[in-house]
Amino acid sequence: MSNDVAFLAEFADGQPARSALELAAGAAELATAGGGQAVALCYGPGAGAGAAQLGAAGASRAIVLGDEEAPAITVAAPAAAAVKQLEPVALLAPASPNGRDLAAALVGLLELPAFGPVRAVAIKDGRLQAEQATLQGTVITTSEPADGAPQPAVVLVLANTFTPQEGGSGTAEVSDAPAVDGGAFGKARIAESHPAEEAVANLEEATVIVAGGRGVGSEAGFAPLEELATALGGAVGASRAAADAGWVPYQLQIGQTGKVVKPSLYMGIGISGAIQHRVGMQTAENVVAINKDPDAPIGEFADLFVVGDLFAIVPKLTEEIKRRKGR
Amino acid sequence: MKVVVTVKQVPATTAEKRYTADLRLDRGSAESVINPLDEYAIEQALRLQESAAVDTVAFLSMGPEPAAEALRRALAMGGDEAYLVTDDALAGADEWATAKVLAAALDKLAPDVALMGMASDDARGSLVPGAVAAIRGLPLLSYGAELALGDGVARIRRLTATGFDWVEAPLPVVASVTDQVGEPRYASLKGIMAAKRKQLETWSLADLGLDAASLRGAALTRVVEARPPEAKPPTERIENVGPDDAASRVADWLAARKLI
Repeated sequence: MSNDVAFLAEFADGQPARSALELAAGAAELATAGGGQAVALCYGPGAGAGAAQLGAAGASRAIVLGDEEAPAITVAAPAAAAVKQLEPVALLAPASPNGRDLAAALVGLLELPAFGPVRAVAIKDGRLQAEQATLQGTVITTSEPADGAPQPAVVLVLANTFTPQEGGSGTAEVSDAPAVDGGAFGKARIAESHPAEEAVANLEEATVIVAGGRGVGSEAGFAPLEELATALGGAVGASRAAADAGWVPYQLQIGQTGKVVKPSLYMGIGISGAIQHRVGMQTAENVVAINKDPDAPIGEFADLFVVGDLFAIVPKLTEEIKRRKGR
Repeated sequence: MKVVVTVKQVPATTAEKRYTADLRLDRGSAESVINPLDEYAIEQALRLQESAAVDTVAFLSMGPEPAAEALRRALAMGGDEAYLVTDDALAGADEWATAKVLAAALDKLAPDVALMGMASDDARGSLVPGAVAAIRGLPLLSYGAELALGDGVARIRRLTATGFDWVEAPLPVVASVTDQVGEPRYASLKGIMAAKRKQLETWSLADLGLDAASLRGAALTRVVEARPPEAKPPTERIENVGPDDAASRVADWLAARKLI
């Protein structure tokens, strides 16, 4: 048993994902309070070459689980071996599909308690305390590992829960995970890859999101939303209705079956605010809605609700923001 | 080829929820439905059966006795048989304990594919599929927008950062699917009548060779506090004003919060 806090760090092209930088900061904060270290468990293309740079983000050590272009789940066995050796007090995992898969594999392989996605997390007297919203946000619970539960506590963390450290320096001490057989999880492989020709914004990394729904009406209707998002330095998202209609790619869908986002500003435009969408954005710090229906459900939980024609208001708002920023 | 779809009974989104004295959801008090995301897994399994890629579709649930209702509803959509694991020792089961029980039941049913929804409506951890795969020692194919079977392998179409991949693994596997597999069918009257004659078997923990001790009291986690969410300040509304005025007031609001 140690007071270290481990975290899953995903890489692409040798660079850590934004989630890795956020979790490094979170793990460092939690570990320091308990006298331990933040330890990165690195995977994804280029993880081996890029692992050391997590030192500047808060990690003292970095363990490389694998650095090939393969489904993330294939590193589950080395991840379990590394975790077993470390026995950290907590393991932070991004609440993304890959992060959840690896977290789940560790829960099953090592019989670990699981928490999250969490709203807040702390370590009190060597025991993890996790605050989470459950039952579609109707209840807030605080949970902890049961007496005698094995370490670590596995914690799912939403994007933008922690802020990456800025201006850090130093390198993490890099080592390889214990050499183990990949087991059943190692048998998954990418049979075909179909990347899109155009880049798609990573919504989980955006601090401002302008999301459009059924009310936007068409693919072309998203153009003014793009302009507003650009003026605000943010990204465009969508409801399931807009993605199902083919107006935007599914990668931009926010909600229960899409991305779960936590931006500082979320603008819902022409989005009614059904529960399935709400669970994907309800932790946003500021919610602004524009909708022509004064009774849209989003009006009940938005911080600011504008009743009116989005096609008239959005371009004016973009102009106004550009004007004020230029001042 | 046999597929077992796991089905969870959850409180309806609109239902009033109540808690027991030890901070657990009182599952008996709320109006219940099949977890909506499990309906997509059911739909995927039934489509595979219709295309003759699958011979048998069975449903498996863990929960209190009324969860049999969710299994009857699944059988009304289609499929062949259903199994309910119910035991007083399972009250308050967490992800690990749930996975442990489902894994033991799946070992007994030995399907080629154990198929699950991508998350449950009430907990939303999405951890059960991966934990079941770990406990059973099988590959995991998760978040499939589509599942295909053939030549001893299972394949899922899975979204990537910009496009999608086909990810495959040799059978048997544990798989989960998203709401992109196609809209779940409604049960027909004929289906509802047929469901009454289909086999629905109930298993206790002992039937699976498990007991409360091997499940560590059904949970590795403990809820120490449950409370309603913080009351939010009331929504500010801007209405009955022209677009110029509305835009200017939204900009003021954003500026006041240092968002622009």
